[in-house]
Amino acid sequence: MNILPLLLYIAAGVAYAIYFARRSPQAGRLATASLAAAALIHTFVVGMRTVEVGQLPFVPLPATISAFVWLLAVAYLYTEVTTDERAMGVFIVPLMVVLQSVSTVSDRVLEPAAVLDSPMFAVHVSSLLFACAAFALACVIGITYVLLFRELKSKQLGFFAERLPSLKVLDTMNGRAVGIGWLFLTAGLVVGAVWLLQLQPNTAADPRVAAMSVFDPKIYVALLSWLVYSFAIYARRAIGWNGKRAAWLSAIGFSIILLNLGPVGYFLTESHNF
Amino acid sequence: MDLLLLGVSHHTAPVDLRERVDFSMRGLSEALRALSECPSPAESVVLTTCNRAEIYVACTDTDTSQRDLARFMSRFHEVPEHELEPHLYTHTGGDVARHLFRVAAGLDSLVVGEPQIFGQVKDAYAVASSEQRTGALLNKLFSWSFAVGKRVRADTGLGEGAVSVSYAAISLARKIFGSLKDLTVLVVGAGEMAELTATHLQSQQVRRIAVTSRTRSRADALARRVDGTAVDWTAIDDELLEADIVVTATGAATPTIGASAIGRVMRARRNRPLFIIDIGLPRDVEPAAGELEQVFLYNIDDLRAIISENLARRQEQTALAEAMISTEVDAFLVWLRSRGTIPTVVALRRRFESVRQSELKRLEAKMNGLPPEARARVEEITRLLVQKLLLTPTERLKTASDDATAAQYAEVITEVFSLEDSPADPPVSAPAAGKRSPSRSTSKSTVAS
Repeated sequence: MNILPLLLYIAAGVAYAIYFARRSPQAGRLATASLAAAALIHTFVVGMRTVEVGQLPFVPLPATISAFVWLLAVAYLYTEVTTDERAMGVFIVPLMVVLQSVSTVSDRVLEPAAVLDSPMFAVHVSSLLFACAAFALACVIGITYVLLFRELKSKQLGFFAERLPSLKVLDTMNGRAVGIGWLFLTAGLVVGAVWLLQLQPNTAADPRVAAMSVFDPKIYVALLSWLVYSFAIYARRAIGWNGKRAAWLSAIGFSIILLNLGPVGYFLTESHNF
Repeated sequence: MDLLLLGVSHHTAPVDLRERVDFSMRGLSEALRALSECPSPAESVVLTTCNRAEIYVACTDTDTSQRDLARFMSRFHEVPEHELEPHLYTHTGGDVARHLFRVAAGLDSLVVGEPQIFGQVKDAYAVASSEQRTGALLNKLFSWSFAVGKRVRADTGLGEGAVSVSYAAISLARKIFGSLKDLTVLVVGAGEMAELTATHLQSQQVRRIAVTSRTRSRADALARRVDGTAVDWTAIDDELLEADIVVTATGAATPTIGASAIGRVMRARRNRPLFIIDIGLPRDVEPAAGELEQVFLYNIDDLRAIISENLARRQEQTALAEAMISTEVDAFLVWLRSRGTIPTVVALRRRFESVRQSELKRLEAKMNGLPPEARARVEEITRLLVQKLLLTPTERLKTASDDATAAQYAEVITEVFSLEDSPADPPVSAPAAGKRSPSRSTSKSTVAS
């Protein structure tokens, strides 16, 4: 069943590429319909797994990534419907395909460890995943900003100028996505810290819980990403780091997030390997 | 009834002649009324733009109508015939459709793909229609041309990309800022080019236009014309802080705005994007200003380069547009041809109807004993039978692949069913029968309805 959303994400990716290249309205509608179908079936898969394990399917890491892809699809579809702008699909859906492929390779969901049996865990992970989805959108919007910016500066208007919305729209969308992502990232980190402090002594004996400190790679990389995004927000408001600089900052921030979702989460962390 | 077009355009006539035959000088309605005094055209539409003056007519004799129209154009515009004639072009039949479809799609325009022509064709038709100068043929031709014009623009890139300096500047501004409604514009210089661009920006409903010039009175005059505010020349730096778009066209020998001044302003405005359109020659803004991060500096050559690229891109789309038009012309010709076979179709229907009526009359004595419901049923069955028998031959006749085939079919049907011996106006029971007359034109309109 988990393969079906992946196939639909791939179909949507192909349709978005055709839409972007040829600007065919039919391809655009097909792309949105495929992505909506993928998100719907993915919702069903996530729902089934929630019933199966008794709480949101966030462990092991591939299940977390799959939940992230699902949130990203929903967030992107919301953006597309509210802005009536499909041009970014070609950049964001491939990311969903890659991450969902990674998650599908190891297609299993585990009963969460006893230590994770807490509503705060669900809030912690959901907030962080939603923040990641917002940062992914910000990154993609930032990339499209830079592509259009380069065309406008070099005075060689063409491919991207014909297909993308204005620089101002892209910059505003980037700023909003970073702002929303930062709020959820902050909430997720704070809830995680509070949850850790409230753990009972018996569960605190778990070696993974014992490893939870700012020196654990996953935690300090997460804090690093928080610093980057905090700076991005401050710089935009206080020193006029908008446009291209904000775009680069959101790309750097999301690279750090991907580092956490990928190699750090898989191989380096000692605290978050549930 | 055939189609005929006679006209002059930028392809055939110099501008001084085009100006003299411009129908808009005296109005399309007057032209149509004057044209209605010509005996030959049954329907007519007059199209006039700064690049063309054309008369589209439906007539029975194209040679006579062609002479009549040339004479009309010469008399109406008071241009001697010998002077006008070398510049006139005419088309008939399917070529009229092809020409009009190309015109409506913008393929025949001076600037390929320009959008105004589509509205002008629509206006021309609307005036002719309100003057009751159009009939079935021109109604169909023009409504077809509107559909073709729309489709070509939607399915090809023919109308895309700005092809004038002002529109290029506005489309660039839209790519940077999106909507222009909340923007502030600073116009530096009060020359013709500055005014043209400012007028276009004003039509985009920008929030404020500030105008400055070394000569205050010129700034005041331009500000009044573009509904803006005149500001002192010395206030340029302050205005640069507020402006989103700056249009410069001073004609000064040395740059009016230095890169370092813009750098200072950009810091003060916290890197808010600034779009500078420098259309002055020599340039008014130091080129180094364009290297600042959020400064988008375009000079007149940059804008012209964009225009050339857009024109080249439009040119690439013309082959696709021409192919679409050819398909539409073929479809229109099928429809046109089907009109030519209408007399045969009408005669064939009448023939079958007369046979049906005479058979019913012959059997009337035998049917007298039947109840009224049964008699009505017999009437209905026989009518349906005739309709079904005629369906395929009628369709074949209407959709014949070419004129020769259509004529051949018509001849065979006429011969086989002895249609020439048919009564001219047989008693028929169809609801519209009472309105029919033996005249050809009425027959057409009856069938068309």
